[in-house]
Amino acid sequence: MEKRFLKDGDVIAGAAVAALGVYITLAASKWDIMGPEGPGPGFFPIGYGVALVALSLVLIVSRFRSGEAVEQKSFDWAGFGRAMTTWSAFTVCAALMNTLGFYLSFALLTFFLVRFVFDRTLASAAITSLCSALGFYLVFGFALDVSLPIGFMGF
Amino acid sequence: MNKRNMLKASLALSALMVFTHGAHAEFKPTRPIELVVHSGPGGGNDVMGRALIAAIDDAKLSPVRIQISNKVGGGGATAASYLAEKKGDPHVIGIFTSVWITNPLVQQEANVSIRELTPISLMLLEPALIAVRAESPFKTLGDFIEAAKANPGKMKQSGGSPLARDALVRTVLQAKTGARWAFISFPSGGERISALLGGHVDAMVIEPAEAGELIRSGKIRAVAQVADARLPDFKDIPTLKEAGFDVPNPPQPRGLIGPPGMAPDVLKYYEELMQKAAQSPGWQKFVRDGLFEAKVLGPKQTTEFLTQTEVQMRGILQESGVKLVR
Amino acid sequence: MDIFSGLMHGFSVALMPTNLLWCLVGCFLGTVVGILPGLGPAATIAMLLPMTYNMSPTGGIIMLTGIYYGAKYGGSTTSILLNMPGESSSVVTCLDGYQMARKGRAGAALGIAAIASFIAGTFGIVALSLVAPTVADYALSFSSPEYFALMALGLALVVLLAGDSLVKGLIALLIGLWLTSIGTDLFTSQSRFTFGQSSLLSGLDFMIVAIGVFAITEVLNSIADSEETQILPVPKGLRNLLPSWEELKACRFAFANGSIVGFVIGVLPGAGASIASFISYGIERAVSKHPEKFGTGVPEGVAAPEGANNADSGGALIPLLTLGIPGGGTTAILLSALVLWGVKPGPLMMTESPDVFWGLVASLYIGNVMLLILNLPMVPIFAQILRIPVYVLHPLILGVSVIGAYSVSGRVFDVMLLAGFGLLGYAMSRLKFPVAPLVLGFVLGDAMERALRQSLMMSQGDLSILFSRPISAVMIACAIVVLFLPLLPRFRALKQAAG
Repeated sequence: MEKRFLKDGDVIAGAAVAALGVYITLAASKWDIMGPEGPGPGFFPIGYGVALVALSLVLIVSRFRSGEAVEQKSFDWAGFGRAMTTWSAFTVCAALMNTLGFYLSFALLTFFLVRFVFDRTLASAAITSLCSALGFYLVFGFALDVSLPIGFMGF
Repeated sequence: MNKRNMLKASLALSALMVFTHGAHAEFKPTRPIELVVHSGPGGGNDVMGRALIAAIDDAKLSPVRIQISNKVGGGGATAASYLAEKKGDPHVIGIFTSVWITNPLVQQEANVSIRELTPISLMLLEPALIAVRAESPFKTLGDFIEAAKANPGKMKQSGGSPLARDALVRTVLQAKTGARWAFISFPSGGERISALLGGHVDAMVIEPAEAGELIRSGKIRAVAQVADARLPDFKDIPTLKEAGFDVPNPPQPRGLIGPPGMAPDVLKYYEELMQKAAQSPGWQKFVRDGLFEAKVLGPKQTTEFLTQTEVQMRGILQESGVKLVR
Repeated sequence: MDIFSGLMHGFSVALMPTNLLWCLVGCFLGTVVGILPGLGPAATIAMLLPMTYNMSPTGGIIMLTGIYYGAKYGGSTTSILLNMPGESSSVVTCLDGYQMARKGRAGAALGIAAIASFIAGTFGIVALSLVAPTVADYALSFSSPEYFALMALGLALVVLLAGDSLVKGLIALLIGLWLTSIGTDLFTSQSRFTFGQSSLLSGLDFMIVAIGVFAITEVLNSIADSEETQILPVPKGLRNLLPSWEELKACRFAFANGSIVGFVIGVLPGAGASIASFISYGIERAVSKHPEKFGTGVPEGVAAPEGANNADSGGALIPLLTLGIPGGGTTAILLSALVLWGVKPGPLMMTESPDVFWGLVASLYIGNVMLLILNLPMVPIFAQILRIPVYVLHPLILGVSVIGAYSVSGRVFDVMLLAGFGLLGYAMSRLKFPVAPLVLGFVLGDAMERALRQSLMMSQGDLSILFSRPISAVMIACAIVVLFLPLLPRFRALKQAAG
C-alpha cells in the first residue's frame, strides 16, 4: 500500500510543494520580518512559505485518509515522452538562440518537431521549417522590424 | 556595365578606400549603432534616447542608423552587463543614469561597475523640486522640517526606491536637521503624485516637467528646488541652500557610455558626435521642454564626475542606513 | 465650455478628413500590434513618435491614442485562438475564450470579444466625457489602504476560481503570490529569491509567466494527448462564425459589469487593465447561476474581461488628461507625446486646449465604431488559422511565444524562463492543479504586498487604517462576504446531514 501511495500524483506534488515552502521560509527568515517602518521584505514571503508547507501537508494527509479509493489509470508514458521531447527541444533551442539567432534555431526546432515528434517525412519537415522561418522573418523581421536575437551568422 | 568595367570600378573603389583609410585612420561606423537603454518604451531613458536619435537624424550627424535597444531590468543592471559583454564592439553604446552608480553599491547581483565601462559624455542633469499640496499649511521647506521635528515619524514623503534621488534628498536633509519623517515608496511617478494630491502624504521630490502644470493650476506648491542655481522656469523658488539648508545636492545625471576597452579613435568619434548632437536644435528643444539642465562634458571630465558622484552617493547611502555590498 | 458644446466642437474637429484618416490609421495599427506579439502599443507609439512631430497635435494624439485602445481590441485574438495572450490585459480571456474555440465556437468568442469591447469601450468614453473632473478627484481619494482592500477583494475572488480542490487551488495561488516577490524589494532594495542572477533583480514579467503556463503548456499537453493530427474544430458556416442570440443574451450582465468595473478601476493610477479584467471576471463568476461552468468556455467569461480592458482605456485617460498622471507604460508615452507637442495635460487642459481635449474625446467615439467595423469582418479570416495542420501550428505557437517573451526586455534569459514556466504549467495540469489561480495570484501579489506595507508605513504600524477609511472598509467587507459565499452550500449540506 505504501508503495502505491508513493507513486500517487498528489503525494509527489505535496512533497514538492512542501520542499518549496521550506525553502521559501528559510530564505525569507534571513530578512527583516518586522522592521521599525512596518513589515519588512521577509514578511510576505515567510507567510507564503509557511502556508505552502501547511497546505502541502493537508494535501498529503487528505490523500492518505481517502485511502483505497485510488483508481490508478495507467500512466500515458508515450504521451509524457512526446511532451518531454518537445520541451527539451524547445529549451535547447532557447539556449542556442544567442549563438544561432532566432531564425536558425527556430527552423531547427520546427524541423525536429515535425520530423520526430509528429513523425512526418523528411521533406515535409524541411519545407515546413523553411517556410515558417521565412514567414516569421517577413512578418516580424521585415514588416514590423521587431528586434530578435541575432546569431553569429548575422541573422 | 560589362564585367571589365565592373572590375575597374571595384578596383578604383578599393583603392579609394585604402587611401581614405590610410589618410585619416579614424573610426567610421559601418553598420547600425545600437543604443542601449535600461527602461522599456516610454520610460525616461527610452524617451531621451529616442529624442537624441531624432536630433542626430534631423541634423544628419550620423552616416548610419542608430537603433534603440531596450535592455530592461535590474535597475540598469541588465543594460550594464549587456554593455560589459560587448567589450571592444564599436557599434554599441548606452545611456547611463545615476542608478548605474548606486545599484552596484547595493545589489550583490549588479556586478558591473560604471568604472569598468567607457564614459563618453555627460548630457544633462535632472533638477528637482520639493512640493507640498496647495492646501498644506507648509509655506516653506522650513515649515515642513519644523513640523517633522515636532512630530517625529508622523510627516510623510512619497517617493521611489530607497536608492533614488528623492530618498537621498530626504537622507541629507534629515542628517542636517535631525528631523525624522517617513518615506513611502511607490513604483511609478503617477502613484507618487496621486498620493500627494490626495493628501495621503505631505511632501514629495518631484521632477519639474511633472510638476509644471500642477503648480500652474494651483494644485501643488513648490517650496524648494534641488539644484545649485535657480531654474529659469522657477525663478521665485529658493534652492535648498537659499531655503537655509546647506546640504549637497544628490545629482541625477544622464549621459552616454560605451563598452569596456573602447578604442581611442572610436571614443573620439562618439565624443564628437555627442558634442555636435548637444548643439543640435532638436536636442536643445528636448532639454528645454523637459526642463532639464544641460551639462555636456567630455569623456575625461565625465569619468571624473562619475567617480566623484560615486563617492558622494556612497556616503549618503551609508548615512541612510542602506547596506552596501561593495 | 459645457460638456455638450464641448463635444460638438470636438466632433467638428475629429470629423475633419485628415483627423478621420489619422484615427483610422491609429486604430488599424493598434489592432495589428495588438494581435501580433513582439510589438506592444507602447513600443509602437514610441517608434512612431518622431514621425508625428510634423503633424498637428490633434491629429497626432488622435492617431497615437488610436494605437493605444486599438491594441486592446486585437489582444484577445491570439488568446482565443491559440491560448496565447497577446497583451497582459487579455490573459484572463484565455480562460474561457480558448475553451470556446475548442468547442468549435472560436468565431463566436471573437465576435463576443469585439462586441463587448465596443460596448464597454463606448461606455468608458461616455463616462470620460461626462464626469472626467469629478472622477479624477475620486481617484485621488484612493490610496494604499484602498488598493490593499481592492487586492484583497480580488484574492477572495481567486479562491472562487479554485476548481475541484480548494487545497490545490490555494497552493497554486500561493505559488503565484510567491513568484511576485522575486526581485528587488521596492522599500529596502533587498534582493529576494534572485539566486544570484542579475536578470532576476527586476522580477518576473507577467507576460512571461502567462505565455508559459498558457501557451507553452497547451502545446505540451496537446502533443502529449494525441499522436494523430487533432485540430481545433474550424467553425463552419456563417452561423458558427458569429455569436448566437442565446450567447449574446447570456452576456447581458457581463457587458454592464465589464463596462463599470473596467472604467472604475481604469481611473485608478495604481491598478492596470489586467487587474480590471480579472476582477470583472471574478465578479461575473461570483454572481453567475452556473459558476462551475466558468473555465469550460462560457461566453460571459469572454465578455466580462474583454469589456473591462476596453472600458479601462476610457478610465485611464482621465488622470492622464485632467491631472497629467499616467497610469501605465502606454499612457506614460502618450503623456510625453503630448508634452513634446506643447500640449500640457493637466487641470487646465480642458480650458486652454479645448481643440485637443474635445477633439480627442470625440475621436474616441469614432475610433470605437471604426474598430468594430474593422474587427467583425476579420473574425472569419482569423478563424481560418485553425485550419493549419497541427504539426505546423504547434511550432508556430512556440515561435510566436518566443517572440512575445523576448520582446518584453530583449533577453534570451526570458525565453529560458518561458520554457521553465511551460514545464511548470505542464506538471500542474498533469497533477490536476488549476493554473488560473497561479496567474491571478501573480497579477495581485505584488500590488497587495506593496499596498499593505505602504498603509502600515502611513499609519505607523496601526492596522486600523484598513478599516477606518470608508472605501477600504466596504471593500474588505465585500471580500469577506465573497470568501464565505462558496461555503454556504456546505453549511446547508451539514445542516441537512445533521437534521
